[in-house]
This record gives sequence, structure tokens and C-alpha cells, in this order.
Amino acid sequence: MSNVGDARLRIPDRIAKGDIITVNSIVSHPMDTGFFRTKEGAPIPAYFINDVVVTYGGEQIAHFEWTSGISRDPVMSFSLKADREGPLVMTWKDNKGGVYSQTVNIAFAAA
Amino acid sequence: MDQLRLPRRSFLRRIALAAVGIAGSSAIIDPKRLLALAAGGGPDDPEIPNEAVAKIYRERFAGRPITRGHVQLDMPAVAEDGRIVPVIIESDLPMTAEKYVKGIHLIVDHNPDAHLAGFYLSPAIGQVSITTRIKMKRTTWVRAIAETNTGELWADYAKVLVTLNGCG
Repeated sequence: MSNVGDARLRIPDRIAKGDIITVNSIVSHPMDTGFFRTKEGAPIPAYFINDVVVTYGGEQIAHFEWTSGISRDPVMSFSLKADREGPLVMTWKDNKGGVYSQTVNIAFAAA
Repeated sequence: MDQLRLPRRSFLRRIALAAVGIAGSSAIIDPKRLLALAAGGGPDDPEIPNEAVAKIYRERFAGRPITRGHVQLDMPAVAEDGRIVPVIIESDLPMTAEKYVKGIHLIVDHNPDAHLAGFYLSPAIGQVSITTRIKMKRTTWVRAIAETNTGELWADYAKVLVTLNGCG
């Protein structure tokens, strides 16, 4: 997790149709507030993710509005009702135009 | 002589115990008061929002009443490092097509940007269970406010003591 925007999405190994699963996410980002300075005294400009969108099978299911108050290398977990197979896509956008995305496929384990 | 001495000893012991008692109770009360003063935590009642929070309430909820309940905000009582403070938000409110939580607002009263995050949800998530990590500047109340699609506002508050400023 060293490059800005490197991201991971984690879902359970086995999912049955109808399960409420937990989705864990992490994205590498400095989340600079703009209030800090370097050791040399130069201000570090604000640089943070402010918009996160989650889609499931092409449909937007959640949207997060962040500020620089979210910790560095943001982690976030949320639940999802796995009622159909399809891609789960999480897209992070920062205040400097950076767009980072990760996809996992929701597929049901054979019974 | 012995009869005279004993009462005097027990009297002295009582004074000593009383002194310890006073010292003990002040040791419990004073640091809290001092911390509250040093942190400028404001009124300790979360139902009385500060100016920044009142502004958020006006802008986001048009001043509608907020009721404590149906939301659970889990945070550490003491955050040693204000740069990384874990947050867990859960709710027993339904997530059905008819009635669901459309948004959760995370507010940290004394942060530079008090409205720290908004999590906008849909019935597809099944249940409200959100975890993340946030920065906190100093000791203050943290609020998780859930807004349903029908316009109800439910909340939970947690007071977090911050020892290391995480906002710069």
C-alpha cells in the first residue's frame, strides 16, 4: 500500500444468495488536511478523498461524502445484501481529480 | 491514662481518614474538571449543540427534532492518538424498500470540519453497519445521526477523550 490510490476490497470467501455480507475496503491515500507543515515549515496542501461511490451490478447502492477528517489510508467497512450475482465496484475520488477504483465479483457458492 | 489515649488516637485516625477521603475525592473530580477546562469541551450536554453543530443541524435537517435511539455509535472512551480513532455505527432501523436509512451523518463537535462524513445508503445494503477510522482534534462529543427516507432523525452520541491532537 504505497502508491496513492492502491486499493483493496474484501468480501467473504463463500457467499450464499440472500446473505448480508460485510465488505471491507482500504485505499492508500495521505488524506492531508491542509493544516500541517513539513519539517522545513512549508504548508502541506489539502489532499484528500471527498467522494466514494459503491455500485452493485451496475446500480448505485451507496455514496459516501468524506472530508480530510477520515484517517490516512482510509478503511471502511459496510454491509451488503447479496441477493444477486454481479460486480461490486467501489470508486474513490479526491480533491485533485484522482479517481481510484476496485472491483470484486459477487458470486454464490454452489450449495 | 489508657482510656484517655485511645479516644485521642481514634480521633487522630479519623482526621487522617477524613483527610485522605477529601484528597481522594478531589483527585477524582479535579482532573476531569481540569481536562474539561483545558479541552474547552463546552457544555457537557450533547443535546445542546455548539454553534458549528447547530449550523449543520439547520443546513442538513432544517432544524427537525433529533431523538436519541435506534443508532449505536461505538467509539473508545479515550483516544490516545487523535489521528486514528475507530468508529463503529450500527442501527436496528429497517432497510426495506418502504422504510430505510437514507443517510448517516458523522459529526465531531470540535473538529475544524465538524461534519466529518455523510454515508448515503439504500435498502441494498441490508443493514446499517459501518466502520471507519477518523481524526479528532481534541476531547469532544461525536454524533452519529441517521436520517430515514421518511424524514425521521435518530442519533447516538459518544464523548471521546483525545490525548494527541490528530488534526494539526
